[in-house]
Amino acid sequence: LEFLVVSVLNGVVHGLLLFMVSAGLTLIFGMMGVLNFAHAWFYMLGAYVGFSLSRAVGFWAGLIAAPLIAGAGGVLVERYMLRRVHKYGHAHELLLTFGLAFIIEEVIKLFYGDFPVNYTMPPYMKFAAFTLYETNYPFYRLFMGVVAIVIFAVLYVVLTRTRVGIIVRAATHRPAMVEALGHNLPVVFMSVFAAGAGLAGLAGAVAGAFFPTGPNMAVDFGTLVFVVVVVGGLGSLEGALVASLLIGLFISFSVGFSWSLSDLLALVGLGAWAREVGGLLTLQLSTIAASMPFLLMLLVLLIRPAGLFGDRQ
Amino acid sequence: MTRSRQLALLALAGLLLLVPLVLTPNLINAVIKMLIAGLFALSFSLAMGQAGMLSFGHSAYYGLGAFATLHLMRAVEHSVVTWPTPLLPLAGGAAGFFCGLGFGWLATQRTGVYFAMVTLALAELLFTLAPTWNSVFGGESGISTMRMNSWSINFASDTGVYYLTLVWVAGSTWCLWAFTRTPMGRLALAVRENEHRVRFLGFNTHGAKTLIFAISAMFTGVAGALLAIANEATNYTVFSAQASANVVLQTFIGGAGTFFGPALGAATMTFFARVTSDLTRSWLLYQGLIFVIVMLFVPDGFGGLISTHARRLRATAVRHLTVPYLVCLVVAVLLAVGVVFVVESLHVVLSDAYAVLRRTNGGALVPYHLLGRQFDPLSPWTWAIPVVLILAGAALLPLARRLTTEGWNRALNERAA
Repeated sequence: LEFLVVSVLNGVVHGLLLFMVSAGLTLIFGMMGVLNFAHAWFYMLGAYVGFSLSRAVGFWAGLIAAPLIAGAGGVLVERYMLRRVHKYGHAHELLLTFGLAFIIEEVIKLFYGDFPVNYTMPPYMKFAAFTLYETNYPFYRLFMGVVAIVIFAVLYVVLTRTRVGIIVRAATHRPAMVEALGHNLPVVFMSVFAAGAGLAGLAGAVAGAFFPTGPNMAVDFGTLVFVVVVVGGLGSLEGALVASLLIGLFISFSVGFSWSLSDLLALVGLGAWAREVGGLLTLQLSTIAASMPFLLMLLVLLIRPAGLFGDRQ
Repeated sequence: MTRSRQLALLALAGLLLLVPLVLTPNLINAVIKMLIAGLFALSFSLAMGQAGMLSFGHSAYYGLGAFATLHLMRAVEHSVVTWPTPLLPLAGGAAGFFCGLGFGWLATQRTGVYFAMVTLALAELLFTLAPTWNSVFGGESGISTMRMNSWSINFASDTGVYYLTLVWVAGSTWCLWAFTRTPMGRLALAVRENEHRVRFLGFNTHGAKTLIFAISAMFTGVAGALLAIANEATNYTVFSAQASANVVLQTFIGGAGTFFGPALGAATMTFFARVTSDLTRSWLLYQGLIFVIVMLFVPDGFGGLISTHARRLRATAVRHLTVPYLVCLVVAVLLAVGVVFVVESLHVVLSDAYAVLRRTNGGALVPYHLLGRQFDPLSPWTWAIPVVLILAGAALLPLARRLTTEGWNRALNERAA
């Protein structure tokens, strides 16, 4: 039971963190159809902004400034770059953001060096929230989870219960009609992109203080956020949340199991043969935990390409 | 094929044949890598440019080709089988083809972004599985082996490997070019333009796409095999998303709409990476900047730019463009030198070595070395250099644009007259 409870807790928190990072991408991908490859790099930018300001001013100042600066970066990218290449199609947009990812990472490396920086939470947040089976559970993990839930709640309410949300959702489905009704479509798209980038920045500032903040942090998330968006379904916020939680739980559970395909085959009496063949059949689940999200993504794409909660192909 | 094109190809072939006679081993090795990158990009653009399938996981077939070849080389080394070294890429091609057939059958059930995502997922699966699957991919360290001499050719030298690579790349390029002329190749174009109509005409589009994807994967496997022969080793990093993305990047810089553009882009970028990675640690930044600038201002890539000039201009009309292009070149050089100066200065001043130097000098901002000269970081003259360069470049930019537009208009008018 100890394993179960700890795994569930860690999985949920990890999933919520994943949701924090990918919420912005879901927004951008779903609303504008732009596959923003640089999304995880806005997350990295947020973490480094948080680091710099936590030294100069304070932790909370960094938390406020990170989304603003990442959002401002998003405005520049959308206004002066993406809009220019929009007419050449989605492939061009994807490739452009791919080049941007390079630039953001290298510029950050230029200023902060090739090694992780020491970005930590303020000392008064460093305490155990509760003790579970003689292990102290850090308060900050709960804090990250709460931030993610608040982000979800705010986004959900804004998108489904306010006028702004109605316009944004309408612009996704019938852009020409929305424009004919007198709404400034380019500004809507620019705001969506800025909001998405800002969310990634906020996630970076929050998570960077707990996890290592270094040049590799974006690459680690780079493709995983795509998995979340695809599995959850295009532009579906609930889908992204469920997919993140699913992947978080999946990873935290599979790390703890030493099952392999040969054990499965042993149930039908082929265990000895499978162990003899070796290779893929005896790989333990714990060692291939990193492959699981991609397997899940592959299955979803082949069986239900609209994603778990998506409604259109 | 026009006469000038034939001449250009002949000149290129002659040049490539002469390479080992005049270059140092290090540079021969660089040319080998450029040839391999060129073939990789060409086979990728068979799927991308011809059939319109943006694959984000072509490193899977590249890596599988490399691993298949290494296993065969190992079997030869341990005298399990006999196989002549010049025919080793067949193993890579076979691995690429059959894997491409299987993976392609899965991926081509989806189109557009979803297709890209399936290929990405497949490549990422291999990338995450390979380091733990010791028997096939040799774990994190990968596998390595030795080239054997055969047919009385010495493959211990770079020259032998060079000619082996050249022959295979030239042969594969011819095959890829010839494929675009076959009915199947024309069908690929038709599928890209309007898949619904092609299906309506009674073609099995899923089968056709799978086959085209598999052929693209086959030549990618050959490229991977050549890499394995040249390096005699490989590990799981060949499967990385970075490798898949690189070939996409090179193809678009070279021009995805032309046949030779991708090879041109891949060879140039490989050479650029090799040269600049020795000179500066920020070379990835420059590569990213070049890529973004190409995407923004030259969406057809350099190959597209060249073919536009060749198609729309007469030879005599080029004189109208000499002066405008010289001005453009001056602007580009001014801006580039300014940016490079700022980046490299920041790099030196923010480095750890410089921090140590400051500490030994009591915390003062001492002069730093760059390009064999001393610069004082506190002197306004130091920062005046990039500021003046960039401002001058920015001031000349509108002039360059106006001159280029006028030059083009005059050149096109001459044709009309």
